[in-house]
Amino acid sequence: MHKIWLICKREYLTRVMKKSFLLMTLLSPLLIVVFYGFIFYFSFKKDLAEEQKIILINDQSGLFENKLDASKNILFRYDKMELNSAKILLDSGLYYGILNINIIDLDLQYELFSHEQPGLSMLAAIEGELEKVLKDQHLGAKGIDAGILKELNAISVKINTQKITQTGTEKSDSGSTTIISFIGALLIYFFIFLYGVQVMKGVIEEKTNRIVEVIISSVKPFQLMLGKIMGIAMVGFTQFFIWVLLVTMLSGPVSSLVLQLANIDPSALATGSKELSKQEGLTDLLSGFSQINIPLILGLFVFYFIGGYLFYGALFAAVGSAVDNETDTQQFMLPITMPLIFSIAISQSIINAPNSELAVWLSMIPFSSPVIMMIRLPFGVPTSEIIGSMACLVAGFLATTWFAARIYRIGILTYGKKPTYQELFKWLFRKN
Amino acid sequence: MIIQIDQLNKSYQKHKALSDISLTVQAGSIFGLLGPNGAGKTSLIRILTQITEADSGTILFNGEPLNPKHIYQMGYLPEERGLYKKMSVKDQLLYFAELKGLSNKDAKEKLKYWVDKFEIKSWLNKKVEELSKGMQQKIQFIATVVHQPKLIILDEPFSGFDPINAQLLVDEILLLKENGASILFSTHRMDSVELLCDHIALIHQSEKVLDGPVKELKNTFKKNQFEVKYTGNSLGNQLYMEVVNTHEKHGVVTQLLNLSAGITPNQFLQNLLQEPIEIVSFQEKLPSMEDIFISAVQQRNINN
Repeated sequence: MHKIWLICKREYLTRVMKKSFLLMTLLSPLLIVVFYGFIFYFSFKKDLAEEQKIILINDQSGLFENKLDASKNILFRYDKMELNSAKILLDSGLYYGILNINIIDLDLQYELFSHEQPGLSMLAAIEGELEKVLKDQHLGAKGIDAGILKELNAISVKINTQKITQTGTEKSDSGSTTIISFIGALLIYFFIFLYGVQVMKGVIEEKTNRIVEVIISSVKPFQLMLGKIMGIAMVGFTQFFIWVLLVTMLSGPVSSLVLQLANIDPSALATGSKELSKQEGLTDLLSGFSQINIPLILGLFVFYFIGGYLFYGALFAAVGSAVDNETDTQQFMLPITMPLIFSIAISQSIINAPNSELAVWLSMIPFSSPVIMMIRLPFGVPTSEIIGSMACLVAGFLATTWFAARIYRIGILTYGKKPTYQELFKWLFRKN
Repeated sequence: MIIQIDQLNKSYQKHKALSDISLTVQAGSIFGLLGPNGAGKTSLIRILTQITEADSGTILFNGEPLNPKHIYQMGYLPEERGLYKKMSVKDQLLYFAELKGLSNKDAKEKLKYWVDKFEIKSWLNKKVEELSKGMQQKIQFIATVVHQPKLIILDEPFSGFDPINAQLLVDEILLLKENGASILFSTHRMDSVELLCDHIALIHQSEKVLDGPVKELKNTFKKNQFEVKYTGNSLGNQLYMEVVNTHEKHGVVTQLLNLSAGITPNQFLQNLLQEPIEIVSFQEKLPSMEDIFISAVQQRNINN
């Protein structure tokens, strides 16, 4: 145990003391915060800064004259002339574009001429205006009052989901559960990938440095493997912890800085946002969060985080030991990474049917359970299934560790030709 | 006796690495395990260092059956060796010492001795990748012996060492022996350890062909031949000697010869002085380890 600790310590310290680690760990959250700051900044700044564009409606039909509503960014002027003279007008720089509306064989045709390629949102806005005018005209023609239509459109149905539990019914919210599902699953996915590959690289490094035989004359290969996996896990936790800390600390000052830069009064933002029709959804979302059993999910997140990493880490170590250099790892990496990628790829269907047979099975199989369980948990999973899945994962990582240790002990002393799957299988049962 | 090996067997899938190997290493001696590549030397060493297990046979270390705690009393320099390139010299050496069971405090103390001896103080905080090859070899050697092992196992120790460091290694090995350590060598360059070893074992195709004290083996295999060098015309067979072969270079004749029955070296020289030649040198021709190995293998083939 002491030796595993020594190895673990070395793996941890050599990684954490590296300049690149410090740089990555400190800069990444900064980059993330700055990145979102930018997005935030521009999404507010855009409305204020973007100049108004004037579109000349060259309306041959006469249907639209003075009927289009100007928006913040688009103003409409109307005229009726030859297309060619309209195009000449475009050169004056007064107009952003000329929308030519023509009637050909009783059908309306719309063509927008401009010097630049207009943005999609702009096109959509103009199309919307045109459609509105046409709809109103149709309504009038059919004798329907526009006011009645508005009333009809205002009718909306929202189903509040109520989950029946032993203690009664609980309000639940699918939006917030989906978000939590995705975040948890993605974090586990990335953690396993990032640090699993580090385990593999570490093993290959020891092999290519030819240091491994020196080490295993002092410790058992199993201790070396386990120490390495644990040490790297601790590096991961350290990095993760610092990130969470920094992001929480930085997001406050950065967002206020962004608001300042964008000349937005935070209080205006608050009152402004109240007008948002999304507001209702947002409070639902927030109250949805409060309905989810956060402590349970956090606890299980840590469990699956560690369990999944240990399960895969051992396999990555085995791959590293079997080859001499990183380019040879591709062939063996594929069967390991496939289930991980598959779990993420299938996550949407799991969210749509979190209690389907497929979902239950995938949350039992240790290859997919860390990711799939994270997706299912916020929707509520029966305790028996959680326990079953946890037991399977524990059994799973014991099995992969055994499996990996068998390959590892032979692999680290084998140089030269890349082994075949058949040879790896033989290694499993070879005596020491 | 530091090591006593009895009837050791080891085979891999299709080939036998060791067949019924028995040998003993005396405490405080230098033991050479000689044999061509692939003879089974490294297999034997890996069993001693408990990296692999034997199929059958027993090993006693200091009289006790070999067990994991003996690892702390061994220092092993494998043929395939290296260091962590990104780690500082100091951290690296402390790490190895701690893996060998020393406490951090003890490790630092022991390290001090070697730091002073090899004058590497200014190198301690450098990363291994910044060191020259020769420097790395020194560090590697320190890592092998820093925990003061009772038994030092060196697998092809001179491979990759430049002549200066090789000599340093030889000096250190002799000093370690003087201080009571036992050393087990393995090499396929048989001539390189003749002078160093007290005792050797020759291994060929997984079997021990021969073992014994170096002096004894040389005496057993010597053919009572002498080499004489002189200037003048070369001599043919005489009553007192039978010429085996003759070479001449720069006017100096070198002859390998057998003394006739009943002639002592002194009588031979007296006779030679009568000849019209100038004697340059005269010495008994002892077989080299390579010669011994070849004759031992030939003998074994005949016996089989």
